[in-house]
Formats: sequence, C-alpha cells, structure tokens
Amino acid sequence: MVLLGKIALGITGTMLAGVGAICSQGMIEVNVVERQPEVHHVYVIAPAMLVPIVTHFIPRHDLGDASQQLRPYMPTIRAALDQLQETEDFVMVDVKDRKQHVEVQKIGGSLVIDVKDENETVHVETPVRMISSTLEQLADKESATAD
Amino acid sequence: MRKATQLAGAVCLLVASVSGMAASVLAAPPPERYLHVKVEDAKEGESVNVNLPLSIAEKILPTVNKGELRDGHVTINKSDLDGIDVKGLLDAIRTAPDNEFVTVKQKDEDVRIAKSNGNLIVHVRSTGQEKQNVDITIPLKVVDALFSTAKDNELNIGAALHELSDAGDALLVTVQDASQHVRVWVDSKSSSD
Repeated sequence: MVLLGKIALGITGTMLAGVGAICSQGMIEVNVVERQPEVHHVYVIAPAMLVPIVTHFIPRHDLGDASQQLRPYMPTIRAALDQLQETEDFVMVDVKDRKQHVEVQKIGGSLVIDVKDENETVHVETPVRMISSTLEQLADKESATAD
Repeated sequence: MRKATQLAGAVCLLVASVSGMAASVLAAPPPERYLHVKVEDAKEGESVNVNLPLSIAEKILPTVNKGELRDGHVTINKSDLDGIDVKGLLDAIRTAPDNEFVTVKQKDEDVRIAKSNGNLIVHVRSTGQEKQNVDITIPLKVVDALFSTAKDNELNIGAALHELSDAGDALLVTVQDASQHVRVWVDSKSSSD
C-alpha cells in the first residue's frame, strides 16, 4: 500500500514537473470570433514551448526557402526580440480606419495582436521567448542544410 | 548606557535605510524613450500610430547592413555634398546667436531655416496646387551627433539616436497637407495618446 502511494506520488510529481516545464515559456492564445455570415468562435490555448519542438521535427526540405530567406535578418530579429523582452509594455502599432482597428502591443512577455472589424474579432497572444526560439530553430535548420 | 546604545542603533538603521533608498533611486534605470510617428488622414478617416522604443532602435541599428547604411552609419555620396563643408557650417551655426539664417521666397513656396533655443528649425510652406506645411525641429545636439564621425561624408545615426534619447520631449517633424497630418516626436509615453 505504501509502495503504491509512493508510485502515485512519483507519477503525480513527474506530471506536475512536466506540465511546469511545458508551460515555462508561457501560452499561445488565439481567439477568433466571426459574426457574419454565421457566428463562429474559435478559441485555442496551447503551451508556447510546443512550437519550437514541433518546428524541430518539420522536414528540412520543407523549410529550405523560409530558412534561407530568414537567415540574413536573424541578427536584427535577435537584437529586436532581446530588447523587446527588456522593455516595458507599449503599443507598437495602432491602425484605425472607419471599418477596422488593428493593434500590436507588447504586454508582459508577450506580443499581442488584436484585429477588430464589423465581421470578426481576432486576438493572438504569443510569448516573445517562443517567437525567438522558433526563429532560432528555423535559422539553425538552414545552417544544417548549408553544411 | 542602554538607551544610548538603542539610540545609536536606531540612527544607524535610519542612515542605512536612507542611503539604501538613495542608492536605489540613483541606480534606477532612466525611463524608456519612444519615437512616435502618427499619420492621420481626415479624408479617408484613417490613422496610423507607430511607437518605437529608442532602446530597440539603438540595438537594431548596428545589425542593419544594407545599401548606404553600415554599422549605424550612412555614407553620403561626396558628389551630393557638392563641396560643402557641413561640419564647418554646423560649427558656425552652433556658435551664432539665435537667428534666421536662410529665407527663400518663391512663387509658391517659402523656406525658412533658423536657430532657436538650441534647435535647428526648418519651415517649408507650399502654397501651390498641393498646399503643404512642413516644420522640422531638430535639437542641435542631435545634429552634432549625426555629423560626429571622422569622415566628412558619413552620418552617425546611432549617435544621433543616442542623443535623441538623452534629449527632452521634442516634436521633431510635422507635415500638414489638405487631408493628411503627419507628426514625429519623442517622449516617455508608451502610446501616442
């Protein structure tokens, strides 16, 4: 009985540690509400850590072009994302017209994109660290193919 | 004797806490400065606001190496300078008292260049078919930083950005035409409102 308890405790501890590790880079949140012609609501929340992991398993030949195009811009992207994590929250871009409102903000450790118009509302929230590690993965893939 | 010890202890604690507070105030990083660009089109009912922390701009700049921009420096074609000693010109403006230096009046355009309160000011008024007012106010320190390189035909954008982040709140550029209004300014607010 004591042994079973220890095993259960071990499994629970491992699961909690796993969940903690997976959620350590924050969560990606996507919320889409479509009002016309029919009402649709899509809400996805997923651990951000999964994205660079999934990127790692994408076949190199499928990413060849994307990686090649990305690579020259990596020093700039790296500098921007590193500094973005250091800065306080701010509104990067705000575009309004009579029908649409687009806002890109840095909130906490995340990049938040909100699009609102008559027919739909889109909210995407992605941790900056996840964007950084995913792009690094993509760039590394390019260097692996180049070698 | 015991009271004296207690008093000494209290004084020591007070001094330590005050010096700790002073140290934290002194060590606090300066507030983030933002470059704001706002474009409003009354005719189309559109508005675009872009806010860029100057610290990000300063970090990104040295990584961009394209065309004439290398390591935060822009090279100007010597033929474009047409033999003008820009540094000498700037030195003359810096040491001169506040004044209007250039006034050009044409049929449908007036251009004025002046120095006022440590700023270089350019006003352009177009009264032709496309009416347009352009006002540029650049702190002279920023202009100096821009031309602070050893080479005569190089602009040091990095140094200018750094100087801009040290300067106070400033309205840099406004452009107004029949429908559009463009503003570029620097302050410590994280949004354009």
